Amino acid sequence: MTVLSIVVAVLGGLTALLGIYYTLRGFSADLVLLGACALLALGWIVLGVALGLRDLAGGGPEDPITLYGYLLTALVMAIGGGWLGVFERSRWGSLVIAVAALVSAVLLLRLHEIWPGGFA
Amino acid sequence: MSGESRTPGRTSSGGRGFEIVLIAVYGIFAISATARSGVQMLRDLSAAPVAYVLSLLAALTYIAVTVALVRGGRRSRTALVLCLVELAGVLVVGTLTVLDPALFADATVWSVFGQGYGYVPLALPVLALVYLTRSGRRGRTA
Repeated sequence: MTVLSIVVAVLGGLTALLGIYYTLRGFSADLVLLGACALLALGWIVLGVALGLRDLAGGGPEDPITLYGYLLTALVMAIGGGWLGVFERSRWGSLVIAVAALVSAVLLLRLHEIWPGGFA
Repeated sequence: MSGESRTPGRTSSGGRGFEIVLIAVYGIFAISATARSGVQMLRDLSAAPVAYVLSLLAALTYIAVTVALVRGGRRSRTALVLCLVELAGVLVVGTLTVLDPALFADATVWSVFGQGYGYVPLALPVLALVYLTRSGRRGRTA
């Protein structure tokens, strides 16, 4: 789980940096940035399923509503950010993806506080 | 990543430009503030009724600004007024919570000027107001 969490964190960080780079250079989102965003969304799905399976195995989180709410929000962030990046064909579409990736990284940090046992 | 020719910083005719970033950030806050206050109120409204209602008010403001920006864009007067309301809310709640930390039983989105959210709740309306007034003036002279 720790490895999975690191993978999602790295994907989020890379997507954010790439998005900021695109914004500064004035690039709209291309398949590289959108691909990074899609990988981030995939990472969140895998992490969510893995956390859900651990929850089912017993010893679940104290606050499952917040946990799954955060997981769902993070997934919506990654998909929604990419979606806006597809339709806004300017540098600002890339910035939206960067912001979404940053927020999903913050959500990941909070996830560790909400259910430390899930990542132990 | 580099070397290929890609559309440079030109905003295409259908694009919203920087507006889309504001819409995205306001949308994120609309979702998170609504979810937060909703869960808190459904769980135990009596624990901190004033704080939860304030969080709900903040959430409604974020939803309203998001909708106004999506519909009216950068020249929306509604969005401008709503951002002023939002700024007033952050400043009043922020000042109150700094002066008297025990005033509310639980934290709200706007407590200590949005400390729990990296002070983005304080910066966001300022940024939005600067952007809206600048592009609004440009729109009227054009």
